[in-house]
Amino acid sequence: MRRHRMPDVKEGNVNVTPLIDIVMCLIIFFMLVAKIGIDTGADQAIVIPTSFQGLAIQDMGNTLTLNVRAVAGSDQPMVSALVGGVVEELKLVDPVTGHKPLLATLKNFRLGKDLKQGGANENADNPEFKVIIRGDESMGYQFLEPVLITCAEARVKNVNFNTKRATQ
Amino acid sequence: MKIQGAKKVHYDSGPNMTPLVDVVMVILIFLMLAGSFVSAEHFLVSNLPVVQSGAGGEQLPPGFIPDEPIDIRVDNNPTTGVMVATTGKIQTSDPAALTQQLRAMRVKLNATGKSDDKLQVKIGPAKNVKYKDLVAVYEAALNAGYKKVAFATSH
Repeated sequence: MRRHRMPDVKEGNVNVTPLIDIVMCLIIFFMLVAKIGIDTGADQAIVIPTSFQGLAIQDMGNTLTLNVRAVAGSDQPMVSALVGGVVEELKLVDPVTGHKPLLATLKNFRLGKDLKQGGANENADNPEFKVIIRGDESMGYQFLEPVLITCAEARVKNVNFNTKRATQ
Repeated sequence: MKIQGAKKVHYDSGPNMTPLVDVVMVILIFLMLAGSFVSAEHFLVSNLPVVQSGAGGEQLPPGFIPDEPIDIRVDNNPTTGVMVATTGKIQTSDPAALTQQLRAMRVKLNATGKSDDKLQVKIGPAKNVKYKDLVAVYEAALNAGYKKVAFATSH
């Protein structure tokens, strides 16, 4: 009976060690630099205005991104933000209950759970809290103004306007 | 009966690196695709004005000397719908011209002893002015060298 002959195992001549070294360096670089899975709640569907000027915010941990859109037939904007891991609409004034969810949320971030100035631990103030406004470029100021007023009422001093980098 | 091929296996060729290279390449490609590195977005920073009528709305502490206000009124042209910014003696739709005027005003105020830290630009837009036009005015103020720029509110 004739047996099949096993193929010879050929010794690899390509030295892959430098390749692995380089690839490992690249992986470490990307792991350090890349921002993966950071969700600020920014609504990517909103067309934001462009500007040449602007700064990068390094620490997005102490910020709240407010998506502001115009609503046809209304003078109130539609505001949404990532609160408690979920993007939810924050009305300026709830027409049913009369509550102000946007103001309450901003105060919660800025002044603590007691929604008042002063306090410690969970009631402590957060003066470095920043708001990022991500507004539709075509909306009128009447939709932006109540959001700014609400920020002022919540004593948020640092308001930033999200823009696209303009190219020459 | 002998199996001839078995004799030719080399055991000194080291560990098989192929699976490692495969996995590492997959990780590398994932990181390259999923990572966001240089963002195409940035932020116009505004420290809201410390005036009772402005969006800052804070109570002024006793003895506080308010900043020198530079007001920019922004309206829409009723016929063309184009944004018109008014400050000082000029009225313009061109952000570059607005920057020039604001820069001249700043230099004049600096000459009277007002430092840049004590100058505050307040943009007062009409209700129907588009947000992108406001950003253009805002940027013109920043280009003119002002450090404090904010939107005024009607409350």
